[in-house]
Amino acid sequence: MHEASLVRSLLQQVNDLLIEHDGQSVKAIRIEMGPLSGVERLLVEIAFEQQVDDTPCRGATLHVEEVPLSAICRNCNHEFNIERFRFVCPACDSNHVQITGGEEFRLLDIDIETRAEACSR
Amino acid sequence: MNTTTTIPVDRDVKAALRLQAAEMRREFARRGTLVVNVLSSPGAGKTSLLEATAGHWRNRHRMAVLVGDLATDRDAQRLAPFCPVEQLTTGGACHLEIPLVKRGLEKLGSHDFEFLFIENVGNLVCPASHDLAEHLRIVLLSVTEGDDKPGKYPQMFRTSDATVISKDDLHPHVPFSVENAVADAHVIQPELRGFSVCSLTGEGIAGWCRFLEETRERIIAEPALPDAAIPPASEPLTT
Repeated sequence: MHEASLVRSLLQQVNDLLIEHDGQSVKAIRIEMGPLSGVERLLVEIAFEQQVDDTPCRGATLHVEEVPLSAICRNCNHEFNIERFRFVCPACDSNHVQITGGEEFRLLDIDIETRAEACSR
Repeated sequence: MNTTTTIPVDRDVKAALRLQAAEMRREFARRGTLVVNVLSSPGAGKTSLLEATAGHWRNRHRMAVLVGDLATDRDAQRLAPFCPVEQLTTGGACHLEIPLVKRGLEKLGSHDFEFLFIENVGNLVCPASHDLAEHLRIVLLSVTEGDDKPGKYPQMFRTSDATVISKDDLHPHVPFSVENAVADAHVIQPELRGFSVCSLTGEGIAGWCRFLEETRERIIAEPALPDAAIPPASEPLTT
């Protein structure tokens, strides 16, 4: 269950961004995951619910975007989505394909609330 | 009055860990150490393979092992007669991570090894997601497990450089097809190298050891190259 430690790291990174941008609170956190990211969406969402209230991200909503496993063929440059983990180009049958998406657990962006004008000195 | 601002980030949550692993990998190569992350399900023969490897190399190469398990130091005791070894007991964790590896390295003291093996926790799932600064990732598949495993654990086989089919002496007694296993694996990782070994009889061990020696020569000749055992993900081609 390394989703818990990944979510801990995610929340830490969001906290750092909140401080860096002088924000008051975090409204939303958008993340992206794919079939080879090694994490399960449901477990990430549960870990987030369990941890978020103990951090400055309290009250933030987590938005998860699931992306397909995408690739480009090194032989014919065809771009395609990999289905059922068959790393074979559907256009030319070559198995020399490079993955272009779906391997990572990415933090896309965050919405933070900042105090406007009033606190500018 | 408060305003809501969107801060664009777009980065891998594990970026810092990846960077740390890449730096360690370069440093190992600079020192002449090939790091091998050894993975498999429990009981596939990781420790036996390392015993056979150490026996084959006795007095020829300096090797050390960091071995991860949830509990006990049984594997470390088995390997201790052959080479320096440190047991990494993970408690409940199902895989090794960089901080545990660093602690093991500190306990080993000397870093003057030509080969450092990291025997991971027996598990074909979680360890696939963790770069331990290795130059080579090896997944063992014993003939008793069945030849359908690569397709069932795609991330493990996709991120590995070679597969070692172990317990080859039992092959006549079980319905395991090397051809099927290799074909299944090659759909996932076409560049996966394959070896058949029997650690108990020593069959195939010389070829396996030669592969490691050749890989080490290649890695130390080009220490800047091996930036990621897990391929850097999601970077579109720039062509």
